[in-house]
Amino acid sequence: MRQEPRLRRNGVGARRPRHEDERHLHGRGKFVADLDLPGVQEVAFLRSQVAHGRLLAVTKPEGIDESRIWTAEDLAPFALPLTATSTLPGFRAAPLPNLAEGKVRYVGEPVALAMAGSRAEAEDLAALIDVDIEALPAAVHIENLTDPDSPRVHDEWPDNIFATTQGTVGDVDVAAAEAAVSITREYKLNRQAVVPLETRAVAAHYDRNIDQLVVWSSTQTPHMLRDMLAELLNIEGRRLRVIAPDMGGGFGAKCSIYPEEVALAAIALQVTHPVRWIEDRWEAMVATTQARDHAYRITAHASADGRLLGVEADIRVNAGAYSVHPWTATMDASMSAAMIPGPYLLENYRFTTHSLASNKAPLGPYRGVARPGACFAIERTIDDLAHELGLEPWEMRVRNMVTPDLMPFTSIARKVYDSGNYPEAVRRATQLMDHDEWRRRQADRPVSGRRRLGIGYASFTEQTAHGCIEWASRGLAITIGKEGARLVLDSTGAFTLYVGIKSHGQGLETTLGQVISEVFDIDPASVTVIHGDTALTPRGDGTFASRSMVMAGGASFGAASQLAEKVLAIGADLLKVDASTLSFTDGKVVGETGGISLSQLAREFLFTPDHVPNVDGGLEATYFYQPEVQTGAFTYATHAAVVEVDLDTGEVDLLDYGVVEDCGTVVNPLIVDGQIIGGVAQGLGSALLEELVYDDDGQPKSTSFLDYLLPGPVEVPELKIEHMETPSPYTVFGMKGAGEGGAIAPPAAVANAVTDALREFGALINETPVTPERVWQALQVADRERNDA
Amino acid sequence: MSTVTVKVNVNGTPRTIEVESRTSLADLLRDRVRLTGTHLGCEQGVCGSCTVLMDGLPVRSCLTLAASCDGAEVVTVEGLDDADAHRLRQHFSTEGALQCGFCTSGMLVTGYELVRRRTEMDRDQVACALAGNICRCTGYNGIIRAVQKANDDGMAVDDLT
Ligand code: FES
Ligand code: FES
Repeated sequence: MRQEPRLRRNGVGARRPRHEDERHLHGRGKFVADLDLPGVQEVAFLRSQVAHGRLLAVTKPEGIDESRIWTAEDLAPFALPLTATSTLPGFRAAPLPNLAEGKVRYVGEPVALAMAGSRAEAEDLAALIDVDIEALPAAVHIENLTDPDSPRVHDEWPDNIFATTQGTVGDVDVAAAEAAVSITREYKLNRQAVVPLETRAVAAHYDRNIDQLVVWSSTQTPHMLRDMLAELLNIEGRRLRVIAPDMGGGFGAKCSIYPEEVALAAIALQVTHPVRWIEDRWEAMVATTQARDHAYRITAHASADGRLLGVEADIRVNAGAYSVHPWTATMDASMSAAMIPGPYLLENYRFTTHSLASNKAPLGPYRGVARPGACFAIERTIDDLAHELGLEPWEMRVRNMVTPDLMPFTSIARKVYDSGNYPEAVRRATQLMDHDEWRRRQADRPVSGRRRLGIGYASFTEQTAHGCIEWASRGLAITIGKEGARLVLDSTGAFTLYVGIKSHGQGLETTLGQVISEVFDIDPASVTVIHGDTALTPRGDGTFASRSMVMAGGASFGAASQLAEKVLAIGADLLKVDASTLSFTDGKVVGETGGISLSQLAREFLFTPDHVPNVDGGLEATYFYQPEVQTGAFTYATHAAVVEVDLDTGEVDLLDYGVVEDCGTVVNPLIVDGQIIGGVAQGLGSALLEELVYDDDGQPKSTSFLDYLLPGPVEVPELKIEHMETPSPYTVFGMKGAGEGGAIAPPAAVANAVTDALREFGALINETPVTPERVWQALQVADRERNDA
Repeated sequence: MSTVTVKVNVNGTPRTIEVESRTSLADLLRDRVRLTGTHLGCEQGVCGSCTVLMDGLPVRSCLTLAASCDGAEVVTVEGLDDADAHRLRQHFSTEGALQCGFCTSGMLVTGYELVRRRTEMDRDQVACALAGNICRCTGYNGIIRAVQKANDDGMAVDDLT
């Protein structure tokens, strides 16, 4: 499959400004909220204010036009609830209601909806609906969900467990017996909101003239949404068109099928006007899928010379009230179990996972999915093992990593690591950060001072662009793994590329144009890229799992190559030469004795096909890409953080941050660096700031940007980035995904740096976000332990 | 619901608009003038994506009542069109200062007002000045560089026309 980039001026590898910028820089982007929909009624949802309760009655106000208010009873005849299923043994399904019935299971769960000419009026109306809920004790915190007396989220279940999995490779007990040092640690990554800056947004209108239900949604997965709406509304797919217009980010929050999408689509079929719902920020903080909420207990064994002999992992994930489609509540736990071995040569590994139900909003994907948790668990452990053995943590990493001579390497979790030099990334990171200099400065700090320096590293492998078999292995009922592209050359010699993928802000209109340019040697900006419309584009699964560039890029290359062959055949016919003597240069087909422009060629062929009788009709090609290796292409990286910690306040200052990474062939450095920096910024949010706090009643306490802290311009330093660019042997151009990596390592790197800063006190940073309070507490705990000892 | 009539100049065009008293400036601009470049990221006054200039100073249009804009001159992202705005846009594009584009209008309006001050600013000062604007995509590195460069350019020409 591997295609070498030909290094065209504007093709793969070119640092080009994005084609998307022009419209956004003038405020001309079109997001769902910006669509002009004459006669539209704006929707406001009435949501549960209690985390757990029996829904006794929902009563509409008197004297109000009934059709403007919808309850579960009104909606039920037109829409089924979505039940995410899994093939994992023992998995318990929990149907996700469109509007709650019988019970409410988290604060923010939709109960009813109202519509009016403006959102404000719709909210006024919704406030008149009377909801009678008998509150029940709530199951909230991960520590208590399996207690025998814990409230049960789903009455018909015996406990709060969606599913349990376990696995063993090698023999951890033998490893433990051989080990010079064994340590056990408990880690916790608290719950986070995903926070695309544009909240979710849905509009729907039934066009009676053409019998078409059009649903606009800020979704990463338009085709998947179309398919599921057809099922849940019980109508044929041909009558449904999903359009995802400009999107203000998604990062995983917009790739599950949501009740609000189902409700609006169903209602649009019943009314004569468009309907629209724009999520407000409170709703986004309580009702959009959330992330993390992981707890780990890791025991690790190492030899005296620093070899990692064995790892035992107990993984618990608080997955919230329901499973979302298609990921299910087991996504985080099963992925985390597979990713804990990381970039290491590990032979003995044992894990157990518990995916738990609670009275919190459902968990869904968020950039990195389970990997920030898995990375935290293994990388914090590596640092503490190194400390026990008196090794530099970076050195411990280098000694245990898969080496280039072993590539491609099948990991203990049966993932194929395709290429690269993992230890070299660590070594380069130490140089990038000037490791020895920081160690010197650290040592120079006076013991009597109240501020300490620390440097910390975290390495990981990032599984990207995986295929159907990989998704099936995780129990998904829908096994994602193919992406389509259709390339059309029109009579003016211009290209339009139709892709099933959705660009939700990452610049695919530019990078896919570069792929076409790579084949035809044209200006990438002259390619129109159509995405996010199921009526126009070939099927594709959507943008998630760092798959878009590899898979949609692979599909676009496939379509371009097929079309190129045809164009050359036409050229050969018109120029009366052999096709093998022709090639593309600067928008022309050229041979030894002459050439023809693409526009001339297209006109000849399309207007007078009889001049080219030997070539079949149509100037277009469609191609579906699927990964050659089902576990995907593995990007890897080492991140490094330098911090200064205030011993009195627990405050952490991030002084420097560096990334050495290898995502294979870089298609556009400007865009790839943007993905890395943006990912790291989100990861720093996970590491230091962001936490969705729930009280014991399951009330969310951080539901605005005033109490849920996001990284701002001051919190993110200017990053140091170094690329290694080892092409994957298995993908077109050797590309590997780059979307999520940035967000994976920062929690581990920062926690390692803070722990490094506090080594003399023995304080361990084992929970995120690393707030001043947690640092201070860790110091107190360490102090007590020292005094007790 | 009571209404008020607001006379407001938007991007150079005088307008008289009757709105419900509770209408925000953001809703007036988006729903009534159909200028949808002003985005709403939080409606809590924190994210800055709704920033517009009111009589030359940046305000959060989500927290500004339309009624309080009577007699004011409002400039939105769509109305930025002088040499400073042009340089700012140019640097935004080449520095990787935008991805999804949702925060971009607010960043540009905030950055534009900074650049128009014609004061020298280092990286930290630019970062602090932009601290009222959230971007979830870019990690800010490109935004800060872009504003700093546009500011340096503005200082070099020192032409405020
Ligand atoms: S929308 Fe106005 S500050 Fe966020
Ligand atoms: S570019 Fe997406 S929020 Fe800033």
